[in-house]
Amino acid sequence: MNVMLMNIFVAAEDGHAVDPAHSLSPYWAADAELIWGTAASIIILGALFKFAGPMVKKAMIARTAGIQTELDSSADAKTAALAEASDIRQAAGDIDAERQRLIAEADAQAETLLSEGRARLEVEITELNARADADIIAAGGRVSDEMRGEIARLSHAATERTLASGIIDEATQQQLIEAFIQNVGQNVSQKMGATS
Amino acid sequence: MSDARIEGYARALFEIARAEGTLDEVEDELFRFARSFESSEELRTALTDEMIPAAKRQAIVEDLLGGKATGTTTQLLSMVVGSGRGKDLPAIIDVLVERASSAKNLEVAEVRSAVALTSDQEDRLKAALANATGKQVNLKVIVDPSILGGIVATVGDSVIDGSVRTRVDQLKARI
Repeated sequence: MNVMLMNIFVAAEDGHAVDPAHSLSPYWAADAELIWGTAASIIILGALFKFAGPMVKKAMIARTAGIQTELDSSADAKTAALAEASDIRQAAGDIDAERQRLIAEADAQAETLLSEGRARLEVEITELNARADADIIAAGGRVSDEMRGEIARLSHAATERTLASGIIDEATQQQLIEAFIQNVGQNVSQKMGATS
Repeated sequence: MSDARIEGYARALFEIARAEGTLDEVEDELFRFARSFESSEELRTALTDEMIPAAKRQAIVEDLLGGKATGTTTQLLSMVVGSGRGKDLPAIIDVLVERASSAKNLEVAEVRSAVALTSDQEDRLKAALANATGKQVNLKVIVDPSILGGIVATVGDSVIDGSVRTRVDQLKARI
């Protein structure tokens, strides 16, 4: 403003006439232009406000409704997503619980199998031990029987060989006969009762 | 052979021996012969084989006993063998001995010894058995080496076994 006014003063001083339709300022419009331009702008703005305002307002309302709809949809989607996330978390929890249950069940089955296997093995070991003991006893008995039989056989053979060699001499024969006669005379009743 | 036939033969032999007055001797000889017959497979075969003629079987008996037994004994045995009753000889003779003993109120005492007994031993054994049984016994001694030693006496149903063989068998059984 100061510059423009200064330019107007300078132009006045230099003797030039001031035309209101022409601005002296390189930046500021002429006054008439300002007035008419302002008026025109007001009219245009008023017309715009009057005629375009409702449309703009309607469009804004529609846009607001659209945005609200989008917000609601987003909220619904969020809710659904949260629900789904909850379901997934629950499912994840269920899966974890199922996994834990399955692991526990598997552990229980494994423990049962282990226990049963151990019991079965203990029974088998006991049976094997008993069988081994019986076999040892039987083998011992067989060996004992065989030894007893062998001893008896050798004893029989030795006895027969001794008797065959005529070890009972005449004197012994006479002693046996005399002993028999004496015993019959003394204890015949008892002997006859025992040998009848 | 049936018991009746054995009994008949025994009675006939008994009556002949008694009529001859040699019953004790004949009875004793027949008893010994019966025991020999039982223990000798060869003698049994020779006297019981039907394929051998009767005359030859009788000749065997006469050769075997000639001079070792009385004539009565030899003739009686020859008669039994010739009639084909050789296999029944022991039974016939046992019945004869029983009959002869009964006739004298004696109980037959069969004594088996590994060696022969002396007359003194036979007398003392007879007395001992008589004392033990309460009966007079007709002692019949058989030398049987299979008993090894000692004596086995059988009086009726009673057996007194003092043989070495039995003791050895008992020892074997215990072993």
